[in-house]
Amino acid sequence: MSDSQLYVKGDNKITKPALYTGLVILLAILPLFVKSPYYLNVCILTFTYIVAAVSLRVILISGQTSLAHAAFMGIGAYTSAVLAKELGWTPWICIPLGALVTTGIGILVAFIFSRVRALLFGMLTIFFGMGIIYVIQVFSKWTGGYAGIMGITPLFGISKVPYYYFFLGITVVSLLALYRFEFCRIGKTLKTLDQSYLVASSVGIDEVKTRVLAVGVGSFFVGLIGAAYAHYTLVLSPTSFGVLQSIYLVMYVLIGGLGSFAGPIIGTAVLVIIPEAFRGLKGYSPFIFAGLLLIINFLMPQGLVGLPQLIRSRLEHRKGKGGTHAP
Amino acid sequence: MLLEINKLTKYFGGLAAISNFDMVVNELEIVGLIGPNGAGKTTLFNLITGVLKPTSGKVKFDGKDITGKKPHVVAELGIGRTFQLNPLFADYTVLENVAASFNLRPKSSYVDAYFNTATYRKNEADILNQSLEILQLVGLDKIQDELAKNLPHGYQKMLGIGRALAVKPKLLLLDEPLGGMNSDEIDFTMTAIRKTRQRGVTVVVVEHNMKIMDLCDRVIVINFGHKIAEGSPKEVRGNKEVIQAYFGVAHVA
Repeated sequence: MSDSQLYVKGDNKITKPALYTGLVILLAILPLFVKSPYYLNVCILTFTYIVAAVSLRVILISGQTSLAHAAFMGIGAYTSAVLAKELGWTPWICIPLGALVTTGIGILVAFIFSRVRALLFGMLTIFFGMGIIYVIQVFSKWTGGYAGIMGITPLFGISKVPYYYFFLGITVVSLLALYRFEFCRIGKTLKTLDQSYLVASSVGIDEVKTRVLAVGVGSFFVGLIGAAYAHYTLVLSPTSFGVLQSIYLVMYVLIGGLGSFAGPIIGTAVLVIIPEAFRGLKGYSPFIFAGLLLIINFLMPQGLVGLPQLIRSRLEHRKGKGGTHAP
Repeated sequence: MLLEINKLTKYFGGLAAISNFDMVVNELEIVGLIGPNGAGKTTLFNLITGVLKPTSGKVKFDGKDITGKKPHVVAELGIGRTFQLNPLFADYTVLENVAASFNLRPKSSYVDAYFNTATYRKNEADILNQSLEILQLVGLDKIQDELAKNLPHGYQKMLGIGRALAVKPKLLLLDEPLGGMNSDEIDFTMTAIRKTRQRGVTVVVVEHNMKIMDLCDRVIVINFGHKIAEGSPKEVRGNKEVIQAYFGVAHVA
């Protein structure tokens, strides 16, 4: 996918696309074998949060610690749901509109918040996230307030299979779009801000413009998936988009690995599926998350993504082939 | 005149870090800016490049008033700089550090970049060639794929200069380029700065190391935000006030 010599890291030019294509084909034929609506539901939720986490990572790598990403997902979801319900428009129009409204609000907020960095920026996004919940409450006539909104226009019939393909489709397209975004000059520029905004601006990188661009792109995709999600669950409650959910999204990225594109994909898959598999443990998830974060920090600095490499180098070490670590 | 600073003043609270400072830099000069710690040299760089906004006074560059302009705009107008503590794009390789600094005046837009058009690919190839040329100049071409954070200090300083050159500056501001270098590295850096001037770049250099004097056409001495002396390196060396600023007042009976 990467083109110019500058950004090619070498060896895995062929293996990686082949691996990903194989994975998508596998996911595409999955409903032929898995008929249970429960498992399909878990898959759809995983797809949803994968897009949310990968789009959040775009914002994080531009040096902006956003703790409002779930709120942006909520903006997309509520916009699309209310438009469809109140105006009777088809979800096929409301979903793109939801994404666009989210992008617009994202750009506006990013522009205002671009005056601050680091902790202050994070705090502001938390208040923004709390504020959105309040706004949903204020407009309870349309949004249903804390009780939630019900009876949202469905996209398809009762069967989960069309939903499965729809969400798989959005996910694959979103990931391809975001991958290209990161691995061309745009992404390279974005990442300079996280490393040193002082140096970046000294070489002529417009900090505000670049930050707003990152949030704009991130909020478009999370708005899109949020809007689609609304017409799948058919019921929305503000708690799904609160600050806690935003923190979980950050966790998906951190545990999977902030440093690589696959990080949030793996992180989300693991952290959405594990609690579903061990439902009895769900109440302990804060402890599990904190524990995982510690383990990652101490043992796998690159996140779950680095696990295969870590195991490989440990094994080589044991065989006495040590000292081959890349610099 | 490439750079003209007029009555520049900067207060931090009640303290004047720079006061009523005048300075002129002519094209293709190498000007040294020396003075004890806390004299206001770095503040002056930050005021010129827009990292700080002056309390009063004017900065003119290449005929344009750049007072209080944002750093990225100042860079665009043709001022490159390095930093004393030398922050880097630490997780990028040496080559990526320079290449990412070629963001100005790109010959391809973000849309080109996203859709990988022929224009973009050609532009990227150009950037690669120019980056390699810069790395040769600063002597880092052999370690272009090393991560910047893994470099020894002296190399990091050179990388800072390389990155600043990617801006294609008319004026280069170097903040303690020799700091923490051994004598071989110092010689190499001084040569690189000379070569930079040959490429048509004017240089202002802040430095503690008096060796820098060999390089300068003119030296300006600052203390407590004031200019206390200006002249050729030879003149400044003999200046009484300068000696006092550095070594204290001599009590000769």
